[in-house]
Amino acid sequence: MTMKTIKILGLLVAMTPLALSAQERFATRNGHITFYSSTPVEDIEAHNRKVTSVWDASTGAIEFAVLIKAFEFEKALMQEHFNENYMESNTHPKANFKGKMTGITADEVKTAGTYVVTVSGDLTIHGVTKNVSIPGSVVVGPSGVVKASSEFIVKPEDHNIAIPGVVRKNIAETIKVTVDLSLDPL
Amino acid sequence: MNKKILIAIIVGAVVIGAAFGWSEYNRGKTTADEMPIKEVVTAQALFLAFSSDEEAANARFVGTAEQVIQVSGAIRSIEPVDGGHTNVVLETGDPLAGVVCEFANEDLDPTWRTGAAVKVNGFCSGLLLDVVLVRCVPVVSN
Repeated sequence: MTMKTIKILGLLVAMTPLALSAQERFATRNGHITFYSSTPVEDIEAHNRKVTSVWDASTGAIEFAVLIKAFEFEKALMQEHFNENYMESNTHPKANFKGKMTGITADEVKTAGTYVVTVSGDLTIHGVTKNVSIPGSVVVGPSGVVKASSEFIVKPEDHNIAIPGVVRKNIAETIKVTVDLSLDPL
Repeated sequence: MNKKILIAIIVGAVVIGAAFGWSEYNRGKTTADEMPIKEVVTAQALFLAFSSDEEAANARFVGTAEQVIQVSGAIRSIEPVDGGHTNVVLETGDPLAGVVCEFANEDLDPTWRTGAAVKVNGFCSGLLLDVVLVRCVPVVSN
């Protein structure tokens, strides 16, 4: 065995933990969150395509964060009220989630398939943190891309978001939140 | 005052108020090329400002009300986000972070390529891993 071969083998051995780790950690900077409020008066929908998320399949740890001012509404007035009156985005510029995803293992993420998962942890909106448990699904594609999605309900009052009486009928008491993350291996 | 004139004034005021309310309710969002530019900054300086003092950078570049900033820099990458939007990522000098400018596809300059020096007007929404600008438009050089 030549010195060159020994060096190459040494390099491969040294890189193995990194390669394994790379297959177990996933991230995105372009996740999509939609929220939807429906009342007899009007329907309100907003989109945020700048969700940052990191998932470590070996531990299940998952985090995501969004900038409140990156939510886009159809109408300017809705967006202004959302930022200035309800979310107070100058005081609370971000919402985030820190928790754990169960229902898929680090071994399973190496095989294409669809998995039913549960994400549990702390959801912080408007500066108020609530412990939540959210159902979801993970689709592992043949190329290794992981698509995670979830739909859940958030109550504004749970996060001390006050809705003025004059627009109370325009905004639903429960807001449907949809999360779609396309996570790439790190 | 004549009663008919008084009624006409009241009805007129109600109609004007309703028209204003309706137009305000349906007001569309202002685009980045319709507003004055509040700050002009390089992508590198913008990221440095956020990474050194996020609160101060939020106050200056995000602002309390919507404001447009102009950012210049070299294009690191151009990445489709979904069917209707594309990210143009500007170099910051930090390989792990960029200034991410989101364009509606119809607003994106089709001649832009990786490495080109460009200027972007947009609404800064803050810092995650990158500094994020939304509703961006290209600045056309004269």
